Amino acid sequence: MTTPLRVVHYVNQFFAGIGGEEQAHVGVSVREGAVGPGRALEAALGDAARVVATVIGGDNFVSENQDAAAKAIGGHLRELAPDVVVAGPAFGSGRYGLACAVVCRAARELGLPAVTAMHPENPGAMAHRRDVVIVPTGESSTSMPAAVAGLARLGLKLARKEPLGPSELEGYLSQGARRVWDRGRPGHARALDMLLDKLHGRPFVTEVPFRAPERVEPAAPLADLSRARIGMVTTGGLVRKGNPDQQVAANAARYHRHSVAELEALSPKDWEAYHAGYFNHIVNTNPNYILPLSFLRDLERQGRIGKVHEWMYALPGVSTPVAVSTRLGKSIADDLKAGGVEGVLLVAT
Amino acid sequence: MISAIYNLALTTGANRVVRGARIEHVCGDPSLGPDKDYAYGMRIVEGALAAICAPVTGPTLFDPHAEAAHAS
Repeated sequence: MTTPLRVVHYVNQFFAGIGGEEQAHVGVSVREGAVGPGRALEAALGDAARVVATVIGGDNFVSENQDAAAKAIGGHLRELAPDVVVAGPAFGSGRYGLACAVVCRAARELGLPAVTAMHPENPGAMAHRRDVVIVPTGESSTSMPAAVAGLARLGLKLARKEPLGPSELEGYLSQGARRVWDRGRPGHARALDMLLDKLHGRPFVTEVPFRAPERVEPAAPLADLSRARIGMVTTGGLVRKGNPDQQVAANAARYHRHSVAELEALSPKDWEAYHAGYFNHIVNTNPNYILPLSFLRDLERQGRIGKVHEWMYALPGVSTPVAVSTRLGKSIADDLKAGGVEGVLLVAT
Repeated sequence: MISAIYNLALTTGANRVVRGARIEHVCGDPSLGPDKDYAYGMRIVEGALAAICAPVTGPTLFDPHAEAAHAS
């Protein structure tokens, strides 16, 4: 019989039996063998592996001192030299979830495979799902048996250095990477099956999960428009005539900032639209349709607004991934804020 | 945010959404002729300025077209 694989398990002070909130400050320690849920884990691992040691950390200590905790945990892991590190399950507990992610990252630094388990909305999963293997669980420890079974299955696979397949097949949270695999049946057949399931009210699982958009806290209303500095942003692909900045017409990776300080309106002689997502011809006769400079100048003269901000921002808002859009949007917003802009008109085509 | 596809803006979480004219000419309408085109565009821009002066708690539509229809 081959030697069982070596598993090091991480649990918090509560599951180690040290105590609840009153003990959450305790530092990192190690015990030989399995502790608490580690016993269930060991049972699920069967003869193939055993829990050689349990690393324990207080939730407050680890989540508040992540660097120091990662160092201490890493030191123990190096000494214990396991084949795989298993952390949790943390369920819906936010600090414990973060701690489990810290443990998995510390393991990875040492080249050790690691897996944890927690609720998909645990802050640990929200922050680290892209680089930590996480088995999804329910909110509370009532989902312990399924969580431990998932940890054991993936833990063994990782310990044997077997490559992980797609998250959907293996049962871990999607890490945002696409992997090619054969679903066995062509797309049109799967789509029709799904449609039939939907029409009959049967359960089905989409292959393109909906990502709910980020919710942004609305900005406070402007108190006094007549004193406010107003900025302009357009996603209509406005470029200087002839596109000397060589902006792309779709999937933009950057935006351009242009001065309108000397301009009363945008002239079609100097500006045009370069955007792959709509018919640009009309804007090319009057670019103010997508960047309302002419209107704001009139309102500025009438004293209805305080001032038109000197800089405007332009890019083509088409086919850009959300992550890139978020980065570009943040950068524009930071620049507008630094320029003392109080209100912004964003024209989207 | 001024957009002719305002439903998309609202469902993706923009908090102050102002209904624009058309995708190809968001702030105005060349088919109206120069004067009416400008007045129409101005109504949309003024609607947008009113929107940033209004308190909102989540995605909210401001429709300068509807207000004009009520006024007439």
